[in-house]
Amino acid sequence: MNISGSIFKAGLLLLFMMAMWQPVAGQDTLRTYGPRFGIDLARFVFILADPSEMGAEASVDFEIYRNLYPVFEIGYNSISESEELFNYSASGIYARAGFDYNLLSGKDRSQHHSFTAGARYGVSVFSHSAEDILILNGYWGDFEYDSYEKELKGHWVELVAGVKAELMPNFFIGWSLRYKILLNPDMDPLVKPQLVPGFGTGGKDSSFGITYSVFYKIPLFKR
Amino acid sequence: MFLLLSLLAFSCTSQDICFEDSVSELVASFKTETNDIVSDTTISGVTVYGIREDQPIYLLYDSIDVSEIILPLDPHHNYSNFVFQVNNEADTLNLTLKLTHSSEVYLISYTCGFGNLFTLNDIQYEEGVIVKDTIINPLINTSLEEVDEHIWLYF
Repeated sequence: MNISGSIFKAGLLLLFMMAMWQPVAGQDTLRTYGPRFGIDLARFVFILADPSEMGAEASVDFEIYRNLYPVFEIGYNSISESEELFNYSASGIYARAGFDYNLLSGKDRSQHHSFTAGARYGVSVFSHSAEDILILNGYWGDFEYDSYEKELKGHWVELVAGVKAELMPNFFIGWSLRYKILLNPDMDPLVKPQLVPGFGTGGKDSSFGITYSVFYKIPLFKR
Repeated sequence: MFLLLSLLAFSCTSQDICFEDSVSELVASFKTETNDIVSDTTISGVTVYGIREDQPIYLLYDSIDVSEIILPLDPHHNYSNFVFQVNNEADTLNLTLKLTHSSEVYLISYTCGFGNLFTLNDIQYEEGVIVKDTIINPLINTSLEEVDEHIWLYF
């Protein structure tokens, strides 16, 4: 899958949704609609906890139908670690597309707080490499291997639950918990990647994730 | 809550058991064939040396009775050479066993590091003691299971 093509298509879809949405003239409009952009602050906390891993993530969603939010997320991840017998690094970009559904049924339509459940499909294009590999061998002598490198694509699905609170008009803060399942865990049968950007670290086939984000919604119209 | 979840996430690490060496070993089982029936056999007085270029030879087995031998493969070359000595009643028979292979590195685990994954291509030996061979499993890595058999050598 061409990730830049996917990003472009998702952007077009968002513009199309915004263009199709016409405010109703003369109606008592209470609920604000518009694209909501977010930045994941948890990435910065993770950098403080583990400086070898870096990343950034941004998101955009849009309430296309009441309580239904198509979501698009994009980010970057990298890891660089020095082990006793080798050095490992991986880096790349990722994108996720999916939806959130708001389970809160507030009667006041001007309230935009949400408790959502949703799903994502994620794809990552990245490279990983190991250098200065030393294989201990007591029979034939230790074996040194300079560099192993491979370009990879990862695919996964996520189940997402989260909350968003509107602290000020159009300004939100929220978090999400995610359970992720890697669809192609054998993408490199020789060296299992220790980081699949956007999916997680540790070479596991499933993982949990967390985001803690701030959002700003551009108030295009009310209805 | 967020801090607790973060701490939980960072506290989960795998605990792999690593060996001192990351040697990939080939298992050669000894067989006999009579009327197309293959059966296990034990060979008496087997001595095996590993032949290393520019290094002293390496004694692997010293005159023992065995039905299979485990041979470490050489990651520095595309072949591994061994010398067999088999004692029979009259004499000591010598033969050279050459295993031709290709290899690539693979990650055993993040904790244990890398190993060599060999693909066995050919088995060469002087005719006499060994009469035939069969490659059962050409892939040899550092994980040696009890049921692993890579080649059969017929006596």
